[in-house]
Amino acid sequence: MDRRKALKNIGNGIGAIAVTPAVVSLFQSCQTSATYNPLFIPKDDFKIISNLMEMIIPKTDIPGAVELKLPEFVDAYIDAVWDEEEKTDFTETWEVFISSSIKAAGKENENDLSAADWDAQLAKYLKPGNDLPADEILASKFVNQLRSLTVNAFKTNEFIGEEVLAYAPIPGEQKGCVDLMEATGGKAWSL
Amino acid sequence: METNYDAIVVGTGISGGWAAKELCEKGLKTLVLERGRMVKHVEDYPTMNDDPWDYKTGDVITQETLKTQKKQSRTGYTTTESSKHFFVDDIEHPYNETNRFDWMRGYHVGGRSLTWGRQSYRLTDFDFTANLKDGIAVDWPIRYKDLAPWYDYVEEYIGVSGENVGLSQFPDGNYLKPMELTCVEDHLKSDIKKNYKDRILTIGRTAIITEGSKPGLGRSTCQHRSRCRRGCPFGSYFSSNSSTLPAAEVTGNMTLRPNSLVHEIMYDADSKRATGVRVIDSETKEVHEFNAKVIFLCASTVPSTSILMQSKSDTFPNGMGNASDQLGRNIMDHHLGVGASAASDDFKDKYYTGRRNNGIYIPRFRNIGGETNQKDFTRGYGYQGGGGRSDWTKQIAEMAYGAAFKEASLKPGDWQIGLSGFGEILPYQDNKMTLDYNKLDKWGLPTVTFDATLKENELNMRKDMQQQAVEMLESAGFRDVKGHDRDYAIGLGIHEMGTARMGHDRKTSVLNENNQLHDVPNVYVTDGSAMTSAGNVNPSLTYMALTARAANHAVKELKKMNI
Repeated sequence: MDRRKALKNIGNGIGAIAVTPAVVSLFQSCQTSATYNPLFIPKDDFKIISNLMEMIIPKTDIPGAVELKLPEFVDAYIDAVWDEEEKTDFTETWEVFISSSIKAAGKENENDLSAADWDAQLAKYLKPGNDLPADEILASKFVNQLRSLTVNAFKTNEFIGEEVLAYAPIPGEQKGCVDLMEATGGKAWSL
Repeated sequence: METNYDAIVVGTGISGGWAAKELCEKGLKTLVLERGRMVKHVEDYPTMNDDPWDYKTGDVITQETLKTQKKQSRTGYTTTESSKHFFVDDIEHPYNETNRFDWMRGYHVGGRSLTWGRQSYRLTDFDFTANLKDGIAVDWPIRYKDLAPWYDYVEEYIGVSGENVGLSQFPDGNYLKPMELTCVEDHLKSDIKKNYKDRILTIGRTAIITEGSKPGLGRSTCQHRSRCRRGCPFGSYFSSNSSTLPAAEVTGNMTLRPNSLVHEIMYDADSKRATGVRVIDSETKEVHEFNAKVIFLCASTVPSTSILMQSKSDTFPNGMGNASDQLGRNIMDHHLGVGASAASDDFKDKYYTGRRNNGIYIPRFRNIGGETNQKDFTRGYGYQGGGGRSDWTKQIAEMAYGAAFKEASLKPGDWQIGLSGFGEILPYQDNKMTLDYNKLDKWGLPTVTFDATLKENELNMRKDMQQQAVEMLESAGFRDVKGHDRDYAIGLGIHEMGTARMGHDRKTSVLNENNQLHDVPNVYVTDGSAMTSAGNVNPSLTYMALTARAANHAVKELKKMNI
């Protein structure tokens, strides 16, 4: 997608979903994430992927992806669960996504992209109804897969599962059709 | 070491546990042999209370698991972290496939009674007379009236939850309080009642206690955690470990010997009786012989059949009791993976409490006479399935990502509903298992080779199964109705059966109407190998009933000195 289109999309408010000051600061920070040594994701890429995950599930009054250590989970998950083909696909689509993003932002290097640049990319690939040119299909595949991985990590998180979602390790009763608000106050069951 | 017993039971699963209980309660000193390790109720259920976040990457199948459980993982769900330890190591326990065959099992005290699906239905005379009416295979040597009192007996003892619906093809039983349908399921039930004259939807019948308690090691009411397969601390679902083995133990007549691999039944040509079994200790490889007056083979379909095949002698050069050459043949299963799914925009303000380990059930409505008879296929199928709200791809699409997306993901998704058919496979001579003496396992025993495929009747039935599911969901007004027909190979139903079938005639069957080998009356085979036809319902309840009935017969015969 050319730069003009990207700017146009931001102007339409399709972007700017997740560009909060907190997220901006994540991208501006020179610090690398803690002392985590990724099992699968290349160490150089881990920070950008973590930040993208934070944009997908940002900190609100509930912790976001980075605080919940969802990037560490996703890294371990891919390493333990996926086979060679799935891993290779992920790496390939990640690389297409990176080069696509650099081009869209009109920059030289992925580390030069701003939060707004990344946000425009997420918006382009995650919002429904966007027509994508053929050379961006793989980039879109990467982003959609990252979102699924992030959500899976979120829902498999102990804090979210026990403290945020409705948690009932021993429900006791089984009732088939009940009022949602009465059952869980509107929340989904975690188990 | 004691080597003489009144009875020997081989296997401790669904059938073996019942044989142990019945024989011990009737006063027989019984040696119960299990090839696998001990599993004690509650004590040996390491994962019973785990949450998904107790596992590093969730309760999933890992690449590490696939290294040793590749075939067992074909189900896609049984070898996740919380239950993989109850399924075999495929490297230790290999088998051969001329055509793909999915042989899913675990070797441990309790067998698949620990990991089974718990759905419990009775065969009917539609099933018992089917081969005779179709001119296929051989006639069952029993009818529903022979087994009905034993279905009553086992249902009462184990506890089965469900409701009576008064259909001849779906007999009423003694059920505990039924579990509840969800809103979408109830809607489908009403629509089927309104728009169809030939079928109904009911709640599944499952071997789970929903009120009160049942005998055993503290078997109490289900807490709806839906963690059955790991072993239940409340003993709510039926397993040998919580129910029948403790009953056998308490009589003082049982000797339970795990790690004891029975590989041959010993035969005395003069008395024309089996005299006992040969055992290899699965840990030490020491060999033993044990003697008994009566032997119950309950090792599950394939192992029981293997044992008979391995029991060669001058009298039985082709395997014990195999004058008919039917041993190993006619292998059947229930074919599944075909049906339909849909979504609903209704009931947005509704939900459910408790994780119900049970689904809906639509009993067989095909080929039960009159207008129900189909020209493209014989026999029938039922549907399992259910409706809940755990999928939320619609929220993903709308909210995309960010704070609003995160907020939406904490809410229940749209309602989804699915129907999944279980179809009967016919007995075919050439669908079979054989032993390969060129590929031995680590105990020096031949490995099993499977060669069985679906044929025209099954494939035609699957078309109807998909179409009917689609039509029912469309009729109920659900959206995005999609049929599916997924990858299925024989065995994936985990109901393999038929390889030592019952029949009237020793020339065409292996067992008589009492589950005795025609030719060796003190050997009873009461697991899935006995099945003359598969029916379309989950078979374990039938194995329990056959076993209890056969044990009753065996003890009477012993008292009369007939065996």
